[in-house]
Amino acid sequence: MHTFCPRHEHLSRRTLLKGTVATAAGGSLMNWGSLFNSQAIADEVKKGQKRCILLWMNGGASQFETFDMKIGRPTGGLFREISTNVPGSRVCELMPKIAQNMDKLAVIRSMHTSQIDHPSGIHLMHTGYSTAANIRFPEIGAVVAKYLGREGSDLPNFIKIFSHGNTGGGFLGPKYQPFSLSPDGRLPTFSTSNLKPELESRRNELRNFVEDLYARDRKVETARMHREAYEAARRLQKVHAVFKIDEEWDKYRELYGDTAFGRRCLMARRLVERGVPFVEVGQSSYDSHADNFVWHRGLVPPMEHAWVGLITDLEQRGLLQDTLIVWMGEIGRTPRVNNRSGRDHYVRSWSTALAGCGVKGGLVYGESDEDGVDVKNNPVTEGDFFATIYQALGIDPETEHFTGVRPIPIAPFGSSVVKGVLL
Amino acid sequence: MAEVNGVRQSRRLRLAVKRVIHSRIEIMEINKPIQHWRLLFEGEWPTSVAFLGNGRRIAAGNRAGQIYFWDLPETPPEVDKDAKDETAPDFAPARRLDGHTNGISHLLSTTDGKMLISSSLDHTVRLWDVSAAPNGNAEVVFDAKDRKRKARGKSKEEKEEILSTPGTSVETVKASHILEGHRDWVGSLGISRDGKRLISGDVGSLVIAWDLESRKKVSRWSGHPWNWAVATALSPDGQTALVSEYRYKRDDFDIPAAALKLWNVADGTEKLDILKVHLPKLDAKSSSYGTAQVWRKFIKGGLIAADFSPDGKLIAVGQGGETDTGKVHLFDVESGKLVRTVSGHRYGVCDVKFSADGQYVLSSGRDTMVRICQVSDGKEVAALGKQRGGQFKDWLHALAISPDEKTVAAADIAGIVHVWQLQS
Repeated sequence: MHTFCPRHEHLSRRTLLKGTVATAAGGSLMNWGSLFNSQAIADEVKKGQKRCILLWMNGGASQFETFDMKIGRPTGGLFREISTNVPGSRVCELMPKIAQNMDKLAVIRSMHTSQIDHPSGIHLMHTGYSTAANIRFPEIGAVVAKYLGREGSDLPNFIKIFSHGNTGGGFLGPKYQPFSLSPDGRLPTFSTSNLKPELESRRNELRNFVEDLYARDRKVETARMHREAYEAARRLQKVHAVFKIDEEWDKYRELYGDTAFGRRCLMARRLVERGVPFVEVGQSSYDSHADNFVWHRGLVPPMEHAWVGLITDLEQRGLLQDTLIVWMGEIGRTPRVNNRSGRDHYVRSWSTALAGCGVKGGLVYGESDEDGVDVKNNPVTEGDFFATIYQALGIDPETEHFTGVRPIPIAPFGSSVVKGVLL
Repeated sequence: MAEVNGVRQSRRLRLAVKRVIHSRIEIMEINKPIQHWRLLFEGEWPTSVAFLGNGRRIAAGNRAGQIYFWDLPETPPEVDKDAKDETAPDFAPARRLDGHTNGISHLLSTTDGKMLISSSLDHTVRLWDVSAAPNGNAEVVFDAKDRKRKARGKSKEEKEEILSTPGTSVETVKASHILEGHRDWVGSLGISRDGKRLISGDVGSLVIAWDLESRKKVSRWSGHPWNWAVATALSPDGQTALVSEYRYKRDDFDIPAAALKLWNVADGTEKLDILKVHLPKLDAKSSSYGTAQVWRKFIKGGLIAADFSPDGKLIAVGQGGETDTGKVHLFDVESGKLVRTVSGHRYGVCDVKFSADGQYVLSSGRDTMVRICQVSDGKEVAALGKQRGGQFKDWLHALAISPDEKTVAAADIAGIVHVWQLQS
């Protein structure tokens, strides 16, 4: 009798070791125990069932072509303003649907941040912190997953569709790493087992057996985390249907707009509806050093269509009041139009927007000067912005984590909640 | 004795025939082109240029929606042929055409030079009677940057004198007619050789064919709703329209969809899908990476400039956008097949025109050059201007050829209208 399993039924020893070593490395560098000091806070927060969808404008959308137009000024550009449903408030003509839903947005026109390039800006606007050599800061999604996520849920607590962040769970550990979908919202290939259920079950038993042997004489939590990751992957098999949106897409195509970004936003709604606390939805190509106007003419209309579709859909389902929608990129764009018809990177004065959960609608906060060169009043730093987001989600921005003995608040020290934009 | 169209002709007869043809069609002759004028048009980018009737009356429009025209002297001043082109003289404009409220995308004129036609991002097409009585005067400064440059390092008094020099007084004129029907930026414009038909396209892919005499719409049609009508041209008889569509990025993984089609002007029906002839196996709706790459290779940043050859047998389309090398494709109108690809601008083509004799195709580009190539073999016979060095140094946004085929003008986004005489 043939007593050995065929090769494909085995967990590869190399794969197992690779995963184990990587996980162990993460665990040994960080003070995991201290993280659980904040567990009580996390449990309290989860009762509120708040969620967050981050609409990430990768490359940096231009404030001049969206929310902070400078009509008649040399920096103004080619587009014109349109009125909104909030008296006195005007936006770019590229956003007619947003204009009709301005009463649901709080726009911050006075962002003043510190990192002007993409990698550092992406890090900054995903974590609230500049990069540091000895600390790997967690992304906002990881923090939200920790405080608002549900243990043992079938769906991951931090999902990215068209991922752009670069630090993931950071010092919070692999448990809070994002689960990334492809740009068209499909599950990654590794998430689906190609084994028959009975073989999959035998493989799982074997893995548990090997892990038990490994864990018996060791105190590190590597084996537990490894097993948790596998369990999460196995649970995900039960909810594959959530990721199949074709049928629902036919119904919602018009609401979200027939675009890849529209599909991603519909997917985000499906996920938060099923309890995922943080979903990031990316739209790329805003880095318009050349042809800024035609690029924004191409990118902004489908983006605003999907954005309004998302707001409307959430509102109709009674979810908007508990779902914070954050619209931002990593940088803004220069007031000066260069000789490639482009706008370059700029962080002295730019715009972001919030909607939904805990946010005052119909509000424009802060102001830039007449050419959009500097913030004129109410500057908002990256720390302030993150503190405000956490506050809106019911997470105390001063909550501290520890790496070693060093306390690290989830929003940087000295940050202030922009109370003016919150209810 | 040579044989032409099956008829044996003597040399004398052939010359006589050539003279008759020449009397109707100006021949472009190129012999050591020289820049005669360098007209300052500072402020916002000059985006468009057109000759009006002869090689001395030039109109140019900019991104702020301003249009000026210049009446250049009959005899240009002496130019030092060995000097750099920056030494070509400047000359003040005579008139300002007021009315557009957003950037000018194109300027065209009728062959008699009496009417100027402008398209704009303000959603309108305007017709201008260039000899109409002015409705006012205005003082304008075209050389603010130049003045600042000249004032640099001077004493305070000298600086003030330079900077406060009075501007130029120009007559102001209003449009004689406004063609309305577009609801978005009008980004493309074309006119038939007989000056009777006009075509305009907008960024919502709507195309309108107009009868210029009655100012009425002849037909209208739309392309793919996401695409822009980025270039339009009319056949010499005004019966066929060429429309190039392009979709600027909607996302990284959306295909930059494009179309290049011939349409019947009379009823707005499709005549020939040229891209399908050239790329028959490609499905525009496919989102595969490979498909996107083939599209991108052929279309680059959109086929953003187009023209019909004077005999209506060829069309020229230029690859635009910020690409490595922007080329001009020549297609056969009847079959839709690619005849050849000519020219080559670093970083993309901005404008394309055939010479009136159909011998040459001229293109301006993001490399700050006008390139003149023979249609017959694609050989580049002249290059006007000079590359400014390094990457991304301004563009020659548009070009125009004078009706006598002796002069070429180009709108330079650095704030200049260059005028070259093709024979020195």
